Amino acid sequence: MLHVTWKGLLAHKLRLATTAIAIFLGVAFMAGTLVLTATIGSTFDGLFADINAGTDVVVRSSDVVESEFGEQRGTVPESALPTVEAVPGVRVAEGGVSGYAQFVGRDGKTVGNPNMGAPTLGFAWSDDQDLNPLRLASGSAPQGPDEVVMDKATADKEKFAVGDEVTVLTPTGSHQFKVAGIARFGNVDSPLGATLAVFELPTAQEVLGLPGRFSDIVVAAEPGVSQDELAQRISEVLPSGLEAITGEDLTSEQQSTTRDQLGFFNTFLLTFALIALFVGSFIIYNTFSIIVAQRTREMALLRAVGASRRQVLTSVMVEALVTAIIASVLGVLAGFGLAVGLRALFAAVGLDIPADGLTIEADAIVAPILVGVVITMASALFPARRASRIPPVAAMRDVAHDEVGHSVVRSIAGVLVLALGLGLVALGLWGDTDNGVAMVGLGAAVTFLGIGVIGPLIARPLARLIGWPPAHLRGITGHLARENAMRNPKRTSATAAALVIGVGLVGFIATTAASATDSIRGTVDKSFAGDFVVQSTAGLMGGLPPEVANDISALPEVAAVAQQRNGVAEIDGSGRFLSAISADTFEQLADLDVVAGSFTDLDEVGTIAVYDNTADDKGWSVGDTISVTYPDTGAQQLRIVALYGRQEVLGTYVTGLPTFDANNTVQQDALLYVKLAPGVSPEAGRAAISTVTDPFPNADLQDKDEFADSIVGQIQQLVAFIYILLLLAVIIAVIGIVNTLALSIFERTRELGLLRAVGMTRNQLRSAVRWESVIIAVLGTLLGLVVGLIFGWALVTSLGDEGFTTFVVPVGTMVFVVILAIIAGVLAAVMPARRATRLNVLEAISAE
Amino acid sequence: MTAPTAAPPTIAARTVDATKVYGKGDTEVRALDGVTVEFPAHVFTAIMGPSGSGKSTLMQCVAGLDTLTAGQVFVGDADLSRLSEKQLTQLRRDKIGFVFQAFNLVPTLTAAENITLPMDLAGRKPDQAWLDQVVATVGLTDRLHHRPSELSGGQQQRVAVARALASRPEIIFGDEPTGNLDSRSGAEVLSFLREAVKDMGQTVVMVTHDPVAASYADQVLFLADGRIVDRIEAPTADAVLDRIKQFGR
Repeated sequence: MLHVTWKGLLAHKLRLATTAIAIFLGVAFMAGTLVLTATIGSTFDGLFADINAGTDVVVRSSDVVESEFGEQRGTVPESALPTVEAVPGVRVAEGGVSGYAQFVGRDGKTVGNPNMGAPTLGFAWSDDQDLNPLRLASGSAPQGPDEVVMDKATADKEKFAVGDEVTVLTPTGSHQFKVAGIARFGNVDSPLGATLAVFELPTAQEVLGLPGRFSDIVVAAEPGVSQDELAQRISEVLPSGLEAITGEDLTSEQQSTTRDQLGFFNTFLLTFALIALFVGSFIIYNTFSIIVAQRTREMALLRAVGASRRQVLTSVMVEALVTAIIASVLGVLAGFGLAVGLRALFAAVGLDIPADGLTIEADAIVAPILVGVVITMASALFPARRASRIPPVAAMRDVAHDEVGHSVVRSIAGVLVLALGLGLVALGLWGDTDNGVAMVGLGAAVTFLGIGVIGPLIARPLARLIGWPPAHLRGITGHLARENAMRNPKRTSATAAALVIGVGLVGFIATTAASATDSIRGTVDKSFAGDFVVQSTAGLMGGLPPEVANDISALPEVAAVAQQRNGVAEIDGSGRFLSAISADTFEQLADLDVVAGSFTDLDEVGTIAVYDNTADDKGWSVGDTISVTYPDTGAQQLRIVALYGRQEVLGTYVTGLPTFDANNTVQQDALLYVKLAPGVSPEAGRAAISTVTDPFPNADLQDKDEFADSIVGQIQQLVAFIYILLLLAVIIAVIGIVNTLALSIFERTRELGLLRAVGMTRNQLRSAVRWESVIIAVLGTLLGLVVGLIFGWALVTSLGDEGFTTFVVPVGTMVFVVILAIIAGVLAAVMPARRATRLNVLEAISAE
Repeated sequence: MTAPTAAPPTIAARTVDATKVYGKGDTEVRALDGVTVEFPAHVFTAIMGPSGSGKSTLMQCVAGLDTLTAGQVFVGDADLSRLSEKQLTQLRRDKIGFVFQAFNLVPTLTAAENITLPMDLAGRKPDQAWLDQVVATVGLTDRLHHRPSELSGGQQQRVAVARALASRPEIIFGDEPTGNLDSRSGAEVLSFLREAVKDMGQTVVMVTHDPVAASYADQVLFLADGRIVDRIEAPTADAVLDRIKQFGR
């Protein structure tokens, strides 16, 4: 029996090749993702190990706020240093300072982009060889308030040499330094592309906005004193609020933080790999169904000469297994190459991923192969069972193709599965569940399956509808194309369903993005009454020194400036984004829909305003006092002075600047809102403000529309990135169309021969195949867009509270997608059509 | 009934020294070995011969489905060896009608659509009066909107005959058109072919191995080993049978 399977495999190797491609692509993507994340992970592991190599103990603040924006830790007072130095076994202890510092290149633009890529760091130079991971390549260590050491990568890229002047932006302003030296990190020019500005310790404290404080204290032990021992001794003498951990613990802590972040990234990419494999499973199912139908006679003959049902089933499953193993193994190999490609893809959207070589773990080989094999086997199981049920008598009958799937059972099952899927989606979006996202994902997958089940019932009428234009405009070829698309509803629907998945997700993303874009523009329009904003390009936490705001407000052309600073704090047990505003001017410039109390009261230290719905949930009202824990100052009692109804601008909590400044060591603005004086034209206003912002290349001056564009632009970049990832699922689905058409054409050999004999030209035949392909592609696409629209509507509606104010149908995008579908259909038909036209008429009509 | 055309090209199709060789060297088979034959217009010709005699090859080459190794084929004035693939296709579409043994119809098209298929492919409007006459003759008027799967084998072959007639081709080829039919249905189909020649002035060339089928023809050509070996005018089934028996010896 195995022999028969083997022969079958060889005989159908062409047909199985397309199946194999569907598995291959999904497996390759999965393996590529795993290799890429493992590579990044081990690169970071090595980096942290190197940084901390000579550090035995680190003393740091024990006040830490964990939020979705990362970990924010308090600072250490200088007074702690003598205490640590006095501990027996300490060879040397030094204060460390680090913070935002960004070079300005010779072109006047900032170097590096901390929003998207490696950090731009400023810190203090250490003269101790153990504690300093940097080594001077030229020049000398920084001394005094005017010198800086630069990493070699930046020096090379921006053409700086020892002795040059360079501008460095820090939280305290724009500073001029002389390049005293150029340093390398171990044996690389810069660690993972970060830019480094290194100052003498007092200078670092001054310019990074940490006078009298350290970020941490790093300690090297005397020979013979273990890290654990020393950490223990130091802990015993530390004042409360500080902690000591060993260098090894710090390294593993940093490594695991990176791993967590990578985990998210990994899951994100793997989701797309799974989507691709899910699409592939439709193709596999369809291919095996068609092959089994075409081999009905052969199967029946096997049964007639004594093969058991089990043997027939096994023979099909072994065929699937061999295909799956070959495709998966090749897929994993290709995945290694893809890891490099994925990195390039990220780099193309501005996310530079640091990685050295390739780290290939056993997981990256075993898991994708396993998933590929299991998915293939599961998809082939139903067709294999159908094969095993072919009665021996079928050997004597004409080839029976799969009959029209028209049954009450199918209707009921389809509707039930669809309802289950949509129900899960609804539950995930609106229900009270911890796992909303997973629930929505599962619901979406079940919904797609439901479409697969109900597909054969709707494929015929839909194909008739979609085929109307070609049937009436393209004469007999269009007519034949439409009839062919309708003749095998099961096949057509399974082929189209694969496309529904990819296009459905595209439609969903497009709808959500369009709604988000519209909502953002609406929000900016409604809530922002100013003329200009000055946005920091140095990351969410800002990077504009307060003097920028002061200088702008001193301009005669400007009526008012409101500042916004961002930070994090722990409120009611969880880390929150906590922004701060200059209350006196903010109300003139923005409308947050204050429903109780007044923003003006935020001018007092120890006050806070809360989003109305949040306050409702927590049972708070104006006058109540809540506990807010800051990384720098610990738990504080803040009095609620206002409730507001619009959270899209500042989030759910906001304080005034006095409260922020009292609790944050570093004070830098993230955003400035500017209102011009009456009678000042926008042009004159822009020119005036520019005189202040020009020396700060990290300050981006934008009018209202540009501001909205900059937010929308970020969404569009993400959307474009997701489209690229979804492209794989769409490509696999298009390969599915190629496959189905090729199999159908093989099956219609005699019919095509007849058509050619009675006078159909090759062009006409090609045209008929092409239109059939287009009908199937458009069918899948339209269904997909409908599903995407429903999902998008559901998400947008469920997030109405979080800033989605409008639901928008992206008509333009949808029309574009349909046009792409037509093009994809035409392309999918190329190979099958060529096969059809190459057919030898004589052999076709005499084929037995 | 439409009268036969007044000034006919008396020869509908002919071959000159038609030779068709398959394979090379030891495996060489001469399916046609210098056949020169004429198929007169408005005549029903049957081609007979044992298996491997080359009768199907001859028909396929004259019908533009296959090409000769050497020699010439003319349909009307057209020299088939000078036609491109596309021109051959158009010739089959416009000048030739086909009735195959089986699988004559496109399963997705109705009977009516199958009948007008060659004209639809050419983008021509069928002559409605002629079409009605053809459909009525083969007795399909109430079956026109059925799909082939809803028709009996005999009905399917009648649709095929109607299709072959519908475009008024210069010549109709039948390849064992009754091979898959019971004798009553077969007799019907053969009668239609004979009517098409007698009453509608068509030209029919039919390959068959059935002496009864051959007896409907005006003349029977006998092929053996790729050569024309005999010809019978106004054959009867018995005469044909007697001639066939000679091949056995």
